[in-house]
Amino acid sequence: MINLNIDSAKDRTYDAIVIGSGISGGWSAKELCERGLKTLVLERGRDVKHIKDYPTTNMYPWEFEHRNELPYQIKKDNPIVSKCYAFHEDAAHFFVKDQEHPYIQEKPFDWIRGYQVGGKSLLWARQTQRWSDFDFEGPARDGFAVDWPIRYADLKPWYDQVERFAGIAGDRDGLPELPDGEFLPGYPLNVVEKYFKKSIEGKYPERKVISARCAHISKPQPIHIQQGRTQCQNRVLCQRGCPFGGYFSSNSSTLPWAAKTGHLTLRPDSVVHSILYDEHKKRAIGVKVIDRNTKEEIDFFARVIFVNAAAINTNLLLLNSISNRFPNGIGNDSETLGKYVAFHNYSARVYAEYEELLDYKTTGRNPAGGGYMPRFRNLYKQETDYLRGYAAGFGAWRSAVGDQSGLGKGLKESLLNPQLGNWGVGSHMMGETIPKATNFVTLDTQRKDDWGVPLLKISIDYDENDDKMKKDYLDTMEEMFKIAGFSNIRRDEAWQAPGLDIHEMGGVRMGADPKTSMLNKWNQMHAVSNVFVTDGACMTSTATQNPSLTYMAFSARSVDYAVREMKKGNL
Amino acid sequence: MNRRTALKQFFILAGGLMIASSCTGGVGEASIELRHIVLSAADEALIGDLVEAIIPGTDSPGAKELNLHLFVMKMLDDCHSSEDQEAFIKGLKKVAKAELKTESARLAYLQTLREDVFFDILKKRTVQGYLNSEYIMKNKLIYELVPGHYDGAVKVNT
Repeated sequence: MINLNIDSAKDRTYDAIVIGSGISGGWSAKELCERGLKTLVLERGRDVKHIKDYPTTNMYPWEFEHRNELPYQIKKDNPIVSKCYAFHEDAAHFFVKDQEHPYIQEKPFDWIRGYQVGGKSLLWARQTQRWSDFDFEGPARDGFAVDWPIRYADLKPWYDQVERFAGIAGDRDGLPELPDGEFLPGYPLNVVEKYFKKSIEGKYPERKVISARCAHISKPQPIHIQQGRTQCQNRVLCQRGCPFGGYFSSNSSTLPWAAKTGHLTLRPDSVVHSILYDEHKKRAIGVKVIDRNTKEEIDFFARVIFVNAAAINTNLLLLNSISNRFPNGIGNDSETLGKYVAFHNYSARVYAEYEELLDYKTTGRNPAGGGYMPRFRNLYKQETDYLRGYAAGFGAWRSAVGDQSGLGKGLKESLLNPQLGNWGVGSHMMGETIPKATNFVTLDTQRKDDWGVPLLKISIDYDENDDKMKKDYLDTMEEMFKIAGFSNIRRDEAWQAPGLDIHEMGGVRMGADPKTSMLNKWNQMHAVSNVFVTDGACMTSTATQNPSLTYMAFSARSVDYAVREMKKGNL
Repeated sequence: MNRRTALKQFFILAGGLMIASSCTGGVGEASIELRHIVLSAADEALIGDLVEAIIPGTDSPGAKELNLHLFVMKMLDDCHSSEDQEAFIKGLKKVAKAELKTESARLAYLQTLREDVFFDILKKRTVQGYLNSEYIMKNKLIYELVPGHYDGAVKVNT
């Protein structure tokens, strides 16, 4: 056993600690390092180096042992993660397996996790839509949660900055509900997506179908080349990790950029057990880490701590950071920690066919995935029997398929001569859910994981608002598909547990009042001024947009504030 | 696996996929390593004849030449439930009993099977292995690993 006292605490002291290396942690690290702070990034999982550690990235379909299908036993052993659309042979090594990190579902919740350097930024769906004041003003207007302590204008310059660096493809659509940004050229809608746009916007001018904005380098700028990244090659095999750096991930972008400053120390295999709070100094002084492999306990110290462990794990970590001052979790004077957790309702889809425009097809692959319909329900005023609304994805595709019904020479002939069929079209809902005290996470008082951290209990469910919204989405999309003349319309309303949207948010919410929220308008803990939370845990409400871009902007903005405060001697 | 068996083991290409050969290499055993099911060399030969009946060699390779029988065996071994595996082996034994001598006899036999687990697995995996084989994806229906473009409105040549 190594006597850790030999290491002086000085060697374990940094200016800043970032807990987590995923999409928001990578941004915190980059911004801190660029401002000259000696920064320690702690990642609970293994290291994943850009390109070098993407073992499947250049594999052809026939090179996978099971043609990208996962063996029966793996699916049987992992019922939760097996529900994720991206959990296949080519990316299974980037997902947490069910048995490795158990949790307790008081209500069904599919918690999808990626424990490695880069976290889920390697695996994300790369959709990047900005929030607007229609979203930030939602809780105040509609009377739920608490008012956001910021508005769009506070975040806009930081959206600008992260978009320029990350590389976001999109069109300038001029929509107040989905503000334009610093875009690279968008990926155009295909011929049927354009037709649907025209058809719907003709009948309902307030409903827009735009090209989905996504974190792909459609046209590299010097800032991307400097990161060693280049143009997206339309492989759409992103979940394997991209050898071109064509999409944004911590691994391809923010972490190597932070490392280049010389101020970054990245420590993988470091499970953060808790944040250490000093009762006399009245501030956090560091973190207690359990080495993932050796189980050794090591304390690290810093002046500021950025918590970017991913929404639910950030809740877990703060709940487990207990002191005399904070017996119910660090910073938890408001008793809101772990509560008001919300997510996106992804539980409905509509599919159909289109039997026109058959003289067209597509070639190549679209990294944006197709079209996006920003929220149009209850936008300017309350107009339905439920609160808020939904955004929707919309895509059309046409592929050549060989008839597989025969046998022998006839079958072979038809397989080798695939025919273009009708267009397939599909949409999925992305519904805002209302944060409530009754959707919460807590720590189990008995069971602990292999690193001595209590297991998390998750108690999150849909409510009546979600059910009404889902029905409206299905009816409305079906009606729009009919207007467009689509055939064979199928509603897919199969229930799925919350969590599978992988957009869990909240539990450490922002707000102006320390009595009802955990964080102030700078993502700074009301009660512990040198702790900042800039991942999904900070979200006061969920809106309908894919949230990662907003976490990135929060991280950059919050670091800027923290460093200014440090320079002023306030931190 | 000790060094001796490791040395004995080699890889067989099945539709472009490398499959580990059987470790023991005993007479009468299947030629590939199977972890959950037991198939004999005779079973393997029969599956070879059956996949060939499903996708025969013509002016281009058939399923047997592409080693798709080994692919079927591999997928059956790893990607199916034990119920599926038992049903498949039962179905295979029935085919063996029928003592089908010619490809047309095998084809005729397969055509009598409807809603049959054995037949479903055999055909599904043969077709999958064929369409995703290196041969097909490089020579017939070209798979683009790096398309480098997207065009959403390409006129179809008529």
